[in-house]
Amino acid sequence: MLSIKHLSKSFGSLQAIDDITFDVLPGQITGLIGQNGAGKTTTFHSILNFLKYDGEITWLDHPLSEKNLNEIGYLPEERSLLPKMTIEQHILYLAKLKGKRAQDIKPLINGWLERFQVKGKRTDKIKSLSKGNQQKVQLICTLIHQPKLIILDEPFSGLDPVNSDLLKDAILMMRDQGAAIIFSSHDMSNIESVCDRLVMLRAGKMVLNGTLNEVREQFGRTELYVTTPWSVAQLQQLPGVGRVQTLHQTNRYLLHLANEQAGPAIFAQLTNGQYITEFSQQPPTLDQIFRMKVGETHA
Amino acid sequence: MKRMRKLWTVISQTYSNQVKTWSFLLFVLSPFILIGISGAVGYFTGMATDSADEDRIAIVSSNDNIRRSYLQQNKKDVNPKITTKKAAQRALTASKIAGYLEITTTDKQVSAHYSGTQELDKSLQAKTVGFLNAAQQQLNYSRAQLTETQSKALLTQPEFKQDVHDNSNSLKKVANLISFWIVVFMMYMILINYASVTANEIAAEKGTKIMEIIFSSTSPTTYFYGKILGVVGVIITQIALYLVGGWAAFGAIKNLKPVHDILTSGGSIVKQVIGNLVNVNLVFLLLGVIIYTILAAFSGALVSKADDASKAAQPTVYLSMFAFFLSIPFQDNATALLVKIMSYVPFFSSFFMPMRIIDQSASWLEVSLSLFLLVGTIILLAVYIGHIYGGLMLQTDDTSFWRRFKRGLAYSK
Repeated sequence: MLSIKHLSKSFGSLQAIDDITFDVLPGQITGLIGQNGAGKTTTFHSILNFLKYDGEITWLDHPLSEKNLNEIGYLPEERSLLPKMTIEQHILYLAKLKGKRAQDIKPLINGWLERFQVKGKRTDKIKSLSKGNQQKVQLICTLIHQPKLIILDEPFSGLDPVNSDLLKDAILMMRDQGAAIIFSSHDMSNIESVCDRLVMLRAGKMVLNGTLNEVREQFGRTELYVTTPWSVAQLQQLPGVGRVQTLHQTNRYLLHLANEQAGPAIFAQLTNGQYITEFSQQPPTLDQIFRMKVGETHA
Repeated sequence: MKRMRKLWTVISQTYSNQVKTWSFLLFVLSPFILIGISGAVGYFTGMATDSADEDRIAIVSSNDNIRRSYLQQNKKDVNPKITTKKAAQRALTASKIAGYLEITTTDKQVSAHYSGTQELDKSLQAKTVGFLNAAQQQLNYSRAQLTETQSKALLTQPEFKQDVHDNSNSLKKVANLISFWIVVFMMYMILINYASVTANEIAAEKGTKIMEIIFSSTSPTTYFYGKILGVVGVIITQIALYLVGGWAAFGAIKNLKPVHDILTSGGSIVKQVIGNLVNVNLVFLLLGVIIYTILAAFSGALVSKADDASKAAQPTVYLSMFAFFLSIPFQDNATALLVKIMSYVPFFSSFFMPMRIIDQSASWLEVSLSLFLLVGTIILLAVYIGHIYGGLMLQTDDTSFWRRFKRGLAYSK
């Protein structure tokens, strides 16, 4: 388990991270979200000991040190490779720096190239590959040595939906093999589809931490989706209903409730004992929560 | 053990990355190409100065002993295949020879007649006259029927002695001057090359994400040492190639006429120059290049961003230029106080101590002290830069040099 306790880091007068505490558990995927400059990359850099920081970061109950580097797979936010090398040379060089022997890694390369559907031979130069394929090679370099702790900074940025799915599959496979995974993303749908846990940073402070359900439930089931012939004006008259949002589908609306307890009374009035096709009371989506939390700063 | 393996991975990667470049190949081969070109020029010049067939003459004589003897003494100038007057005349008509010399002998006299399109070459003419004199003298002795004592008396030659003052000191000065120029020039050229290559390579990596990936795999210190040792390996390879290649090239060209002439006339200078180069000066050369390479790595790590790689080597290049030009006025004054002081100052000692070693004005104790200071500085510099390397490489402030340096130091604090 990666354990981060009271982590703080400042650059001069700028407090980049302010007393954050969370765990990344083996066999689980933790999503780190936040706006640009929220402190996500600084958190990753602190974990990797690129920075001196205040607080404590431990891996399997010991401070993370050079000895643990072989167990880490790290993908930085911007992609960067050694363009003059071939795919094989590049993968082997980085794997050797992770303490692996070339003869152990060589037989795995073809399998990984197929898994990520890389278009190119292992003898092709990196610079001859398309941007997307270079990105896939970099992901292979991050994962091929079977790391126990995987840190991915914006891994989905620049990937098309097909490649995003390939990456998701790889991340889930590594999770199933017991790796502790943390990744940052701006796209809440990615977080929602693969993460077990979520940490949100805002201006260096941790504002959310927990499993996806825990985080969403703490905002209450205040989002009510209904499909009804009622008009917007009628819906707005219902008790406890704040804003009514018309959705794209015919007669479908999203009602924002003041609190989740308003649900049963609305149900009673809206259905009047009759069947309706949709009445679904849900907590806010992660995207809504993200916007809400970001909005708090600007408010 | 794992750390050593990673260090070795970085060393071999850096080494093969540089050795496999065209620039390295060209840099290593350039002196040999120059030697090859001058050797080829020398060879063809030599060939040209050797007599061509049409410039040679034929020798004919009814006295076979005289003919053979003349032929023996003037091999280069005589075509040995032509043995008869008729053949000689035909060859002359066909312009295959410059002329022919006919030597006839009677009981009393040796006489020679030269027929050719032009006058006989002056030097061959002088040799021919000398040869005829000797032959005539031999004939005269045998005709005079002298007693043994008389013969001996007549054989007495005048005595000619030369009193040549030993010029080894002036030769030594020439040898020292040549050695000085070779040492400082080699030093300057090699270190400028490696300083630029190292600074550019490190600057190009500055702030790139590949450094983050590498530093998530091995410590910046290990990576820095690997880089420097890889470059040191390349430098050693180059010096070794120069030594082996120089030895082989020397073996190949030493028999060429121009080289042979130089070796014959100035052999002791060549030996002294080689002696001045292949000694502890090589160690100073190697260590000098290493200390400047470390400094270049440091200045490479201090550029504001990878795009500024071309400027990265400038501080190191300026310092090495300063040391190089400072040493030149002292090329024949190795005992000057400034030379003595600078021969102990790292970054300068690799230029100045070899001057003193060549001049034989430095004791072994002084040489050892200078080496100790140089090695000590290299170690301290490498350890310090290795320690702050991660901070320098990961921060990308586009500010002044000192601010970047301070931010680099602070980055990992």
